[in-house]
Amino acid sequence: MFEEILAFAALPLAAAVVFTGIHTWFGLQVLRRNVVFADLALAQVSALGATVAVVVGHPVHSAAGYAYTLLFTAIGAALLTTTRALARSVQQEAFIGVLYVVATAATVLVVDRSPQGAEHVKRMLVGGILSVTADQVVTCVALYGAIGALHWLLRRPLLAAADNAAPSDPKTAFWDLVFYLSFGLVVTSSVTIAGVLLVFCFLIVPALIGTLFSARIATALVIGWIAGAIASVAGIFGSFLLDAPTGAVTVVAFALVLVAAGAVRAFATAPLPERGRNRRRGWRAAALAACMILALSGLWVIAVPAGDHPVVAAIEMVIGPERFMTPSERADYFEAAAVERRHKDDVERLYAIERQSRWQGGELTSDEVRRIGSMQQTLTEMGRGERFVVDYLRTRARERERWYIGLPLAACGLIGAAAIARRRKTRSASNPPAPDRPVR
Amino acid sequence: MLATTGDLASLARAVAGDLAQVEAMIPPAADPEAFEPRPSDLGKLKGAAVVVRVGLGFDHWLDKLLAMHGDATVNRGSSGYVDASFGLALLEVRGSSIDPANQDGHAHGLANPHYWLDPLNAEPITGGIAEAIIRRAPAMTENAIAGRDRFLGRLKARLVEWERLLAPYRGVPLVAYHNTWPYFARRFRLNIVDVIETRDGVSPSPARLARLAATMREQKVRVILHEPFEPEEASQLLARRTGATVVKIAPSVGNLPAAADYLALFDYNIDTLARALSAASN
Repeated sequence: MFEEILAFAALPLAAAVVFTGIHTWFGLQVLRRNVVFADLALAQVSALGATVAVVVGHPVHSAAGYAYTLLFTAIGAALLTTTRALARSVQQEAFIGVLYVVATAATVLVVDRSPQGAEHVKRMLVGGILSVTADQVVTCVALYGAIGALHWLLRRPLLAAADNAAPSDPKTAFWDLVFYLSFGLVVTSSVTIAGVLLVFCFLIVPALIGTLFSARIATALVIGWIAGAIASVAGIFGSFLLDAPTGAVTVVAFALVLVAAGAVRAFATAPLPERGRNRRRGWRAAALAACMILALSGLWVIAVPAGDHPVVAAIEMVIGPERFMTPSERADYFEAAAVERRHKDDVERLYAIERQSRWQGGELTSDEVRRIGSMQQTLTEMGRGERFVVDYLRTRARERERWYIGLPLAACGLIGAAAIARRRKTRSASNPPAPDRPVR
Repeated sequence: MLATTGDLASLARAVAGDLAQVEAMIPPAADPEAFEPRPSDLGKLKGAAVVVRVGLGFDHWLDKLLAMHGDATVNRGSSGYVDASFGLALLEVRGSSIDPANQDGHAHGLANPHYWLDPLNAEPITGGIAEAIIRRAPAMTENAIAGRDRFLGRLKARLVEWERLLAPYRGVPLVAYHNTWPYFARRFRLNIVDVIETRDGVSPSPARLARLAATMREQKVRVILHEPFEPEEASQLLARRTGATVVKIAPSVGNLPAAADYLALFDYNIDTLARALSAASN
């Protein structure tokens, strides 16, 4: 099994590492230019190109398909270059947002003409990094390697254009166009593999983490690469452990790495006086949030014992949900739960019999199939009846439980929160806030 | 006449012949379970004398359309309304339409809704359609009965041939992308050991794919059944990992150009499948 998992994970991991390599660099430039959503807009414009190609009748991976995609990407790059010059009194981001929604809406309209369009649009969003092929990884390495080398050679004018405050200068516009064209090429090819959501993560999160720790672009790049590699490994193996879709888990993994990096920055590597203050504040905020959650859950179970109570349910996992039932209620509770389980097993057993009979032994007659169906239906409904009994008894127990569990929870939470707030007050009274302090 | 799917439209055409105009609401190559009605569908509903639906929650959106604009004669329970699932022997009955624990990928419904893929179910389905035609246009009684008999005669002759083609592959293990084929499997004695997609529209997790690959190797699954409108990545990945072949067959009339009507649907699917299985066993 482990070998099977490794075999499934190897190519996606390689792709993720390659993506991190090039996207962190582009992400750093995107952050400098303040055009965070440019990749979404460009990806969407190139997706529009791919969609048009499909609707006109060319397969996505044919030469004509690529030509359409590239043409639309070039148009998108030109539009993004012009928006910078246009954006004098407003953020360039506003134009980028408009470009994104218009490209998306246009894709929907074009897709509307083709029957399998909805599927296509969904795939662009979520992607399928899990099913990336060796050929695709090799193509990406070649393409990204070439673009990376070009950018390394042209890094000075590109970075100068990114920082330039006079964007109407034709030289800046030229370098902007070069940037957006190469950016479009990268984003287009990675979006077809990993999907818009994941590519956005590859682009922004490692770059963001890099800039958290260093203003120097080379240092930020290395830190971003390390963080991106960690997040990729965590996401891909995490999706095996959690038995969940890879793209979505990887996005969450990137977010967690970002939070962790933020914590490291605030509590471990910030300058000394700031670090101490951050730690104190962090502890206080965490303790306050925990106290408030306890207090609110306690109050909530007192007010509405029949509602959903995650904290109380967690406590019941330890003490047992039947703790506050009368002996007869407890007996009914366990019986109903057991009967519900039995009904479920019976439904599954019937299902297995019917499945086997599809190809093994004598064929079941229609009447036998009908009988199985109606038994399954009856058992499911009866199981639901037992579930109702279980829920009812649990609510009755919670009506008593609220005084024994809910009240202490609410009291502890409120007292804790009050103590934290009070401590803060006395601290700030004995230690006036910084601006009031006399300058030495 | 208006049918929600191409399959029911084709069956309605077989019964009514040239005497009625039959239209399907879901476009031919689209995923029926992802269909969303558009304004022009309301117009179609307005003029319809008979409405034929799959039922079992498969075309749940029709209820809303009927409530909004349907003629009183085609509403649930009236003379022009046909729920084709009525009275069939259903498989994989799950009991209720609102069970969140439903794990087989069908978000709605009482049982697996792909019952038209058992050709013998065409008999009760066309029966229901013929009855509705007779109720709405008594003058067409003879035509409808004759049309249905002719169609069923042709169907039964073909069924013998279809069963002959697939007989050598009885019990051969298969994997399907979506849980579309239980009725088909029962009729043609096929053994579908597992499905790739357990929740509609959610890509399967890698752990599930790894388990599936192990199962496929263990049980020597050589063929993956795949619907033409579903995303191909997961099926192709499994095929690459296990050496199986992905076979695209049509779950509904019109999904592929070759599956132009109800009989052609089975002709194409069975021919394609038999060929793939024969190639895989060599």
